[in-house]
Amino acid sequence: MKKILFLLFGLSIASLAILSFTFIDPNLGYLKNFYTGFAFSNRLAVTASYIILVAVLFFCFWIFLRLYKEKKLSKKETYFLIGFPAFLLLSYPAMLSYDIFNYIFTSKVLFFYRENPYIMMPINFLGDPLLDFTRAANKTALYGPIWTLISAVPYYLGFGNFLLTLYLFKVFVGLFYLGLVFLIYRMTKNLENVLFFALNPLVFIETFLSGHNDVVMMFLALLTFYFLKNKKIISSLFSLFASIFIKFASIFVLPTYLFAAYKMYKSKPIDYEKLFFQTSLLMLIIFYFSFLREEIYTWYAIWFLSFLSLTKITKTKFILVTVFSISLMLRYVPFMFLGTYFGPTPIIKIGITFVPISFFAFYFILKNKLWQKFLK
Amino acid sequence: MAKTIFLSFLIFLLSTQFVFADSQYVLPYPSSMPGTFQYKLRVITEPLFKLWYFGDLARFKYDLKQSDKYLVEAKTLFEYKQYLLAVDSLKKSDNYFEAAKKDLKIAEKRKNIQEQELILKEASLKHIEIIEWLRQNTPETFFWRPEKTVPTNLNIWRNLDASIKIREI
Repeated sequence: MKKILFLLFGLSIASLAILSFTFIDPNLGYLKNFYTGFAFSNRLAVTASYIILVAVLFFCFWIFLRLYKEKKLSKKETYFLIGFPAFLLLSYPAMLSYDIFNYIFTSKVLFFYRENPYIMMPINFLGDPLLDFTRAANKTALYGPIWTLISAVPYYLGFGNFLLTLYLFKVFVGLFYLGLVFLIYRMTKNLENVLFFALNPLVFIETFLSGHNDVVMMFLALLTFYFLKNKKIISSLFSLFASIFIKFASIFVLPTYLFAAYKMYKSKPIDYEKLFFQTSLLMLIIFYFSFLREEIYTWYAIWFLSFLSLTKITKTKFILVTVFSISLMLRYVPFMFLGTYFGPTPIIKIGITFVPISFFAFYFILKNKLWQKFLK
Repeated sequence: MAKTIFLSFLIFLLSTQFVFADSQYVLPYPSSMPGTFQYKLRVITEPLFKLWYFGDLARFKYDLKQSDKYLVEAKTLFEYKQYLLAVDSLKKSDNYFEAAKKDLKIAEKRKNIQEQELILKEASLKHIEIIEWLRQNTPETFFWRPEKTVPTNLNIWRNLDASIKIREI
């Protein structure tokens, strides 16, 4: 039975990687040999496949976590489960989001054209071949300067070869994911917490398939608290500064960070379980407020999931996180099926995001009679 | 009723003065003026901002923006008959415009500058339009006699002509 489950997990990830190649942009000349246009002419089939694969992966997430709790997973099997999603590094990255092309163009503006990417937009570089498929080309750099600077590593290692650079960006982000997973383990000393984070399909799809840099920012945010816990204040401040200048949303950890630093200064005991839970709530707030900037993007969930993974994994937490993660992964469905960002797409996306989680939250309030706790 | 509407429309047409801009290029509003604290602060921080605009195209953007700003400043000062300060601002605008042209020359070696060339052309047309208007509304020369310093004989038209020449592409 366990073998079948492992096989199912592995096959789903491999299928997702294959499915991603049906989304190759017709303007991406570098991959013209792989272009089929299948995803654009068979929307129903592709959308259904995506939904099935996501459902299977979340099912595996649930079963594997249960197996671990029941001590039915060996250490070797657990490590395999944590590591195997890295197979998605081989996938085509722009299946769900085009951000990775933006990372590369921002690097190119700085390191190839030697221009300030916070002043010059990609569209200012007429004739650049990357313009054919880069989205949001009419915006200056969208990320903090530390991200722009460290992106020099995959950019220069790519030696001007677009495909090599593209995959190196994914590998680069993947290394920070490893660091983040390692930190979760170091801070909790519990592989269940690691599995709760690393086996969540939202986390590994957004990191290994789409190559989002949120794990870079969150690695540094967690490192901030790790150093603080070990009383390395300077290193802690440095990490916090770096995290904020990857993505400015990290600034939301400041209240709990300062509170913990104050308690440490006064030599008072710190309840880290509570602290990390509160920090995850703060990151949830900025996650919800991200619609003020543009919209709530699925990968922003990594912000609060990282801190939540440092707390005790209760059944309620697990169900709420799973329901919300599934909802967020299904946000891609309306565009995948309809092929437009307009029409009913925005309203369906809002419905998918908030209706299931509201329903479950309401259910838990009723089941646990939470109002009685407030009234006491 | 129809007659009244037609007559009103005719009166409106005859009384309306149509104004067409020579260039699509839009200049900024006048910002802080010489003599104010904000102006001093702006002059001090200018080199710092210049550092942020690294790269040939970013520098071009910066230099042209500065040239626009000083031209608007000069125009405002000319209108208030502050000729000495106005000529000074015009010279600053000239210097920045020349720098913008140089930036493009350097950028041309490695980058496609089609878009920027078009912007520069539009800007030069707009600048010349403003300077020509100034030439029609200012005296040829002006003897500037300040209270406590040495007086200056300003050859305004010569300065304006030089500014036009700089902007001819």
